[in-house]
Amino acid sequence: MIGLVVVTSMPAIETDGLTKRFGADVLAVDDLDLTVEEGEVFGFLGPNGAGKSTTINVLLDFVRPTAGSARVLGLDAQADAAAIRERIGVLPEGGELYDRLTGREHLEWIARTNDLQESVDYEATLDRVGLTAEEAARPVGGYSKGMAQRLAFGMAILGEPDLLLLDEPSSGLDPTGMQEMRTIIREEADRGATVFFSSHILGEVESVCDRLGIMNEGRLVTTGTIDALRDELDLDASVSIEVDAVPDGLAADIESNEGVHAVETDGTTLTISVANPTRKIDAIRRVDERATVLDVRSTDTSLEQLFNTYTGNGEGEPEPSAAGFAGDETAETAAEVGR
Amino acid sequence: MSVADVVSKDILDVRRAKIIWAVAGLYTLVTAVFVYWGTQARPPEGWSGVYMALWNFVFVGAMFVPAIALVGAYLAIAGERESGSIKYLLSTPIQRRDVVLGKYVSRATVVAASLVVAFVVAAILSLVWFSEFPAGVFVGLALLTIAFALAYVAVAITISAATATRSRAMGGVLGFYFVTNLLILFGQLSILGALEYVLNELLGLGVGDDPIQLVGMLVSPTHTYLNTTLLAFPDGFEEAMLGGQTTATAWYVEPEAALVILLAWTVVPLALGVWRFERADLG
Repeated sequence: MIGLVVVTSMPAIETDGLTKRFGADVLAVDDLDLTVEEGEVFGFLGPNGAGKSTTINVLLDFVRPTAGSARVLGLDAQADAAAIRERIGVLPEGGELYDRLTGREHLEWIARTNDLQESVDYEATLDRVGLTAEEAARPVGGYSKGMAQRLAFGMAILGEPDLLLLDEPSSGLDPTGMQEMRTIIREEADRGATVFFSSHILGEVESVCDRLGIMNEGRLVTTGTIDALRDELDLDASVSIEVDAVPDGLAADIESNEGVHAVETDGTTLTISVANPTRKIDAIRRVDERATVLDVRSTDTSLEQLFNTYTGNGEGEPEPSAAGFAGDETAETAAEVGR
Repeated sequence: MSVADVVSKDILDVRRAKIIWAVAGLYTLVTAVFVYWGTQARPPEGWSGVYMALWNFVFVGAMFVPAIALVGAYLAIAGERESGSIKYLLSTPIQRRDVVLGKYVSRATVVAASLVVAFVVAAILSLVWFSEFPAGVFVGLALLTIAFALAYVAVAITISAATATRSRAMGGVLGFYFVTNLLILFGQLSILGALEYVLNELLGLGVGDDPIQLVGMLVSPTHTYLNTTLLAFPDGFEEAMLGGQTTATAWYVEPEAALVILLAWTVVPLALGVWRFERADLG
């Protein structure tokens, strides 16, 4: 007799009506229903204070929910906290490492607490996160913020955990470091790990995530694939190019290209608003064919502005044009050009 | 074993800290000075000066040992909560109970080790300076003093487990030190002196000395320790020192009862610390 085998994949993370209050008037997480499937890379987005860290802290049993429940790898976040931690790698946010211990000692300690001393390769892990053996031999008190973050990332991925919980993993990293981190996240996903990571910078999430969830003021505003959200939110990115002189008709010419929303000319500076960041390099090439490029500044829409724009929160008036995004709050990263 | 993981890492960490060695070094120095002072002091009729040195050693210890223990342990958990490194600690399979117990074991070990150094120095000096060396008294006092230190380590760990910042932990241990040590040690000015004054002089209740002694032990590990040291000194020495007056009649203020209370001063705070820390939000 042939039975039918129904394979139901268990969610890596599942919260049900999760609510967390601090004191009487702070509602950090409000009735959150979130599901992260096994094997996916899930980007958990939201402005600072949206409740992302509190949610992660509940998953790690650092804080206890006021109502609702959370399950990690099918286990109860509170009752089975120790069993969960044997299977996950964590990069907590805003935690200092131990100043008096060396980088290597940090890794050895993670290995010992997880009973992994026999199986882990410290050198390979250090190499992956970009720390040399000499750096690993120094006390962490002397590390730069970026080095500390690299070490913390190494501690998280040590021993091939089933699930990586990364809270703002790119904080303190330079653009190269962020790129390397994204590469490692991809590699971890390829070997089968589920990756759940939070960020307040959209640009850092979109290139690596299978799916996104956006949180604002304690509530999950939306979830979906990048493409679905992009359509929904009509994301903009822009690049400012300074040239020696703007040839006639250049602006109109570029504006007619696919993926370009608007071109503004201000003296010798062209500000080109594009549908997504991958279009920026096309725009730069086209300008370069016709004029001498003196400087390039790339601008990404910050999530905070998106929230201001699309949820009507905050003081910013809704103005979803490139010019509206080029204000003071805009995150500008010249090094992001050409990504 | 998770407690062992906490202990090994914490000892690795804390033995590289300088403050604990500075305080322990000061204690060793002060102990040495008081041993020397014992050579100059006039002991009671028929007793060697080494007993005077040990008597002084107890009183120096009564003030210094809690300070060493509290300084050595008050940041053990609260410091990690403030810096956020507790999140790394608890991202491993280590449980919260293991953190409290492991921190206690590691800090107790470090504090006890620094006391042993002071005892060894005092023993060597005593051997050199005095004709008589009562090894039994020495070892007895050393063990009681370590038990005393471990009680204050337990209290400091508990305060550390119950507070989220360095400043609150420091406030907590300072308050505890004042109330249970400085305000206990100085006779008529002490809390017990005040209690006796209120009960007997103002209210005229005629409460005996024994119940007040018991209250003293229940509120102060220092008071308890001083009562236990009678176990180590030879019979008759205390009477000789205090001018023939006899103390302690009720069973519950006998030195043996004091020893039980001293051990309880380790167990009860730690249990409280575990209970509090397991329920804390580590945001």
